Amino acid sequence: MQPITRREFVKRTAVAGAMLTSIPAILEACSTGTPTSNKPSKLTIAAVQGAEDGPLKKVAPMYQSQTGITMEIVEFPYDQLFEKLVTTFQANGSSYDLCMMDDPWMPKFGTMGALQPLDSNFGFTRDSDIPSIVYDVGTWPPPRGPVPPSEQGKTQHLYGITIVGNVEMFMYRKDLASSPPGSWDDVLANAQKFNKANFYGYVIRGKATNPASSDSLPILWSFGGDIFDTSWKVVLDSTASIDAITFLTQTLKKYAEPGAENTDAGDRDRLIAIGQAFQSTTWPAEVTGVVEAAGVSQVAGKMAYIPIPKGPSGKGLGMMGNWLLGIPKGSSNGSAAADFIKWLIKTDNMKTYVQNGGIPTRTSLLNDSTLGQANPYFPALAQSLAASPNWRPRTDQWNAVETIYGTAVNQAVAGLKTPKDALTAAASQIRAAMKQAGYPS
Amino acid sequence: MIRSSPNLPAPHAPQAERAGRRRLSRDERLAYLLLLPALGAVFVIVTIPFVLVLIQSVSADDGTLIGLRNYTRALGNPLLYDAIRATGVYSVIVLPIEILLGLSFALLVHRTVRWPGVRAAIYVLAILPLVVPPVAIGVVARLVYAPSYGVLNVILERVGLTHHEVNWLGDPTLAMLAVASVDIWQWTPFVYLVLFSGLQTVPRESVEAAQIDGADWWAQFRFIDLFYLRPLFLLIIFFRLADVLRVFDHVFILTGGGPGTTTQLLSLYIYRVEFKFFDSGQAAALAVLVLVSFSILYRLISRALPLERT
Repeated sequence: MQPITRREFVKRTAVAGAMLTSIPAILEACSTGTPTSNKPSKLTIAAVQGAEDGPLKKVAPMYQSQTGITMEIVEFPYDQLFEKLVTTFQANGSSYDLCMMDDPWMPKFGTMGALQPLDSNFGFTRDSDIPSIVYDVGTWPPPRGPVPPSEQGKTQHLYGITIVGNVEMFMYRKDLASSPPGSWDDVLANAQKFNKANFYGYVIRGKATNPASSDSLPILWSFGGDIFDTSWKVVLDSTASIDAITFLTQTLKKYAEPGAENTDAGDRDRLIAIGQAFQSTTWPAEVTGVVEAAGVSQVAGKMAYIPIPKGPSGKGLGMMGNWLLGIPKGSSNGSAAADFIKWLIKTDNMKTYVQNGGIPTRTSLLNDSTLGQANPYFPALAQSLAASPNWRPRTDQWNAVETIYGTAVNQAVAGLKTPKDALTAAASQIRAAMKQAGYPS
Repeated sequence: MIRSSPNLPAPHAPQAERAGRRRLSRDERLAYLLLLPALGAVFVIVTIPFVLVLIQSVSADDGTLIGLRNYTRALGNPLLYDAIRATGVYSVIVLPIEILLGLSFALLVHRTVRWPGVRAAIYVLAILPLVVPPVAIGVVARLVYAPSYGVLNVILERVGLTHHEVNWLGDPTLAMLAVASVDIWQWTPFVYLVLFSGLQTVPRESVEAAQIDGADWWAQFRFIDLFYLRPLFLLIIFFRLADVLRVFDHVFILTGGGPGTTTQLLSLYIYRVEFKFFDSGQAAALAVLVLVSFSILYRLISRALPLERT
């Protein structure tokens, strides 16, 4: 064999290296954008880390053993999942075949055209055992309420199927109170009655932005207030809205825990679980994860769960916080991903999912007495879903709106501003943001 | 390939040299070749993103160029000035305290600890806070300051210093002090390590000569140690200022920018503009403004604290 020079060796190595490193890119380029009906070897799910994806992780191996398709669940914390999905969708990336989505994200993803329609592409139809609101929340443009200007006239499609049927509810100590609070006046009366040293009459989840927003919206709605009216006009500085936030941040706050402006869900659950608080709003995951968790909570079995109490408007409006599964447009395994969703929401499989800590959407499972024994909030959740709870305004600007609104409520809870000043300033900021985004101001 | 001969002048060589375009020697070519991977990496990781940010800062969401409109919007938002104020207050709290504490520890160890084993142990202890992920520090700090179950309140009440719960994260002033304290805990060791290594370079003869001349500890510090440490102060201020502009994790976990926006530092504000408001143009404009402001600030500081010893 003829010896080669060093220069020649370097040149040949460089050429070989370049060829080898380009092979994956060439293969990727050949496969991109060509949806295949062949069974993929793997489905990748982008999921939120925590109680919401725990049951999914438990049942996914069952699907894997039945079909031979490896289920890879990539977890992200709440905020990071949203950012990761937005950037992936902007790049039309094919990293994920399925993604978990909080329902307020649907407008953003719907407006971006980031998801594959489940009805027209994969034959999904409505099931009478699942409340219609659950399908509505996964439909874009929204089938009820105001539609963003850019989305008006677009054909509605189903883009997401709920796998965590979260609705915000109310919890109180049933071992102390003889009857459930029917209204926010009753809530206040109970807060006054049971408040004492080291036992708080009410827990406010008042940490800035998302926590304060989530905690206060059901009260805002129950008082007849809102952020927008039906034509996207900002009404956050209306009398009803100001009354609602004044009730929460001044009247009810007198009986709330110290440091309410920095309390998040974990802090609230802790206060309830160690028996230092009487009542608060709650989400299903908080109930199963902490408040009713044996060995963790001192009040397991002592709490009752009811839909959000009524306000002066005569309504008690819970807030949806569904987690949905959708199929990103960039995925080339759409059919297989759709099969997985269909498999997951079948009654038997959803029952297994619930037995592993999942929160169902099927009315039959929510009313199942056996499942209800382990999940005492199921009847309240079934009632809340049947009563068509409110969803957060269906706008792709929701994150901005929530940040402004949640900061204003936090300012009011902290006493930095009066509720009126905080909401007036927030309304002004929201008007500016919405105008910038092309909404009528 | 034409090779230049040492005996014969290359054709047109005088003109080429006059124009500053002489041919590179073999060694020079090799040097450039070896530099290429590093420069390529810097180009890909730093230059391209920076150019993209610059383009984004003058573009609308659909990519059309809109001049300086994003900058006007960014500068017209009152929340920006709240964030600048919060960042300024944060810097004014953390930087002097970290430098004074770090300097004090460095002098103390330099002058009193002689045993190498103890010095090594202190070195390891000082490294520890620097390698702990900021998220973990934020979570632990929350356990310290949290309302109703925070360790600090329990300790203060047990020793009788307070008789009621201090609202560390809910009061605007205390919340700022709480988030600043986490920074001070994590980054004072960095200042200590830099200054301690600087003190090792002080010539022993100078110190001994000063001692013979009767210089007390303050005179030794002022006229000898400080002379050698001065360039390091610039380094510390530069790094710490850059870090303060990037502070995010522990503030996000401890207060989320609250109460209200009192602890919403610049980094958190820009994050919200980008990832909550999805206003990429304004976020890019803010990033460019921060970079330019920081460069100006750095120039001013480096004039006051020259890198060379004079």
